[in-house]
Amino acid sequence: MNLDLIKDILVATVPLLIIFPSLFAFTTWLERKALARIQNRIGPNKVGIPCTRISLFGLGQPAADGIKMIFKEDIVPRGADRLFHLLAPILALIPAMLVLCFLPLDFSFFAFWDEGIAEDIKAVQSFALDGAVIFFFAITGLNTLAIFMAGWASRNKYSLLGGMRAIAQMVSYEIPLVLSAVIVVMYVGSLNAEKIVLAQDTLWFVFTPWGLAAFVIFFIAALAETNRSPFDLPEAESEIIAGYFTEYSGFKFALFFLGEYIAMFAISGLAVVLFLGGSLGPGVTVELVDGAKELESAFAGLPIIWLLAKIFALIAVMIWLRGTLPRLRVDQLMAFAWKFLLPLSILNILVAGFAYFIPQENIGPKVAVWTVSLGILYAAAKGLNSLNRADVKPREYKYAE
Amino acid sequence: MTQEITFWVLAIIAVLGALVAVRRRNLIHGVFALMIFFAALAGLFLLLLAEFIAAVQILVYIGAVGILLLFAIMLTERVTGDDGRRVTARGWFWGLVAAVSVFIFLLLPAIQEADLPESAQSIQPSVKALGHKLMNPYVVTLEVLALLLAASLIGAVAAAQGVREKKEGTNDA
Repeated sequence: MNLDLIKDILVATVPLLIIFPSLFAFTTWLERKALARIQNRIGPNKVGIPCTRISLFGLGQPAADGIKMIFKEDIVPRGADRLFHLLAPILALIPAMLVLCFLPLDFSFFAFWDEGIAEDIKAVQSFALDGAVIFFFAITGLNTLAIFMAGWASRNKYSLLGGMRAIAQMVSYEIPLVLSAVIVVMYVGSLNAEKIVLAQDTLWFVFTPWGLAAFVIFFIAALAETNRSPFDLPEAESEIIAGYFTEYSGFKFALFFLGEYIAMFAISGLAVVLFLGGSLGPGVTVELVDGAKELESAFAGLPIIWLLAKIFALIAVMIWLRGTLPRLRVDQLMAFAWKFLLPLSILNILVAGFAYFIPQENIGPKVAVWTVSLGILYAAAKGLNSLNRADVKPREYKYAE
Repeated sequence: MTQEITFWVLAIIAVLGALVAVRRRNLIHGVFALMIFFAALAGLFLLLLAEFIAAVQILVYIGAVGILLLFAIMLTERVTGDDGRRVTARGWFWGLVAAVSVFIFLLLPAIQEADLPESAQSIQPSVKALGHKLMNPYVVTLEVLALLLAASLIGAVAAAQGVREKKEGTNDA
């Protein structure tokens, strides 16, 4: 084994392993604070810098939570499958961390003290797989297995119910998720995440009619894939007592939590790459270098700041939705995926094909394409809605007037 | 050197996974061992620079086939995975004959006749090349496959609908 290889592996992975877990800590604080405001509470506001009276809006809370989690007793039910009970939280974290590699994150500016290391990071990360997007979907799918494993290994009926709900939900919502990403892949003609970002130098895909529809479908499906409210049926506290992690405590529980939030970052990152222009923004432009497009930024690190800012904008929407929407019922969840999102995303592929072949230099055709595409999609959504509506009869009261 | 180490590690994981999948009496353990085998196979494809096939291996075999297996087990009464019954394998002799003959008559000729390139770098299998191949010479095959899958999907829906109607009928009667 040569040392260079180990160094390359370290420089490529260590930034991911440091940055995303610390962002996770910040996000838990953000979520608790935001939910508290929505529910007219104050939220965490006591823990700040230890041994002082400085509270810093409760920013020390994640650290306190982490310490508490580590020292908590790890309880394994007597009937549980001990091996799988241990493996499940680990398996939940690995795919979530792994898919971060497929996002175009350029961390080379972190090694500002050593040009050599910066070059190494660039070299390792420029090994951007041609099939980054398809790999992303392949590996996020593994998350389902971890949840099932947890539910099954706990030997608890609520856990098993949660695990089965999770499989059904994630398998169903993966289809609209992939189909709405396919549109962008077709339009750009590449599965490479970096090329998809570079193709959006003049117009982010969310500002096209098909892109807007695909983004909305993608975001809804992403919420379901990451088990976020209103699709948090697998862990519904009020029905099945936190579902698949009913029997988890201490650090294993923390690992599940970490995996879930990292998955949120990853899927929001993919949404940003596909529809919101990735790391493009003021100060970051696309230049032609030797006939090939390349990112040019005002200063190193600006692209990653834009990318993370956009990811956090999406996370903020997720938190907002969690504070706003009630949980779906299981039958509503399934019907929504198969009878509404799936036909709509297939239709959207056709609409995107139609928009692709119409020249849109002038304002006239542009407006026409917008109105026709959105009109078709709106009509289809309305039609599906009325088709899916069950015949609701006026409620008959048996025992009360 | 590193490639060889990676190959051997993945190969050992694959063989062990396959063995555990066959030998474990606990069904769920068996399915997860099978998934480890699939994952190791995907790693081997990645080692051969066949990244698209590796991704499809994970997507189809672990993501779809594995989860389908779990679903099927969940629908049986052996949800807990424990199966105390001893299953004695009787057909081991014919099984061995089948395995050896597949190796001798199918795999060995294929390996010998294959025109292997000198190194993995010289093949350059990319998603783009694969896409062009699928869209140009093999487009009819692809369409026929798609038709077959669509037919089976519609068939499954039709079968599911029929069962439900029958059940409702019996309930009424």
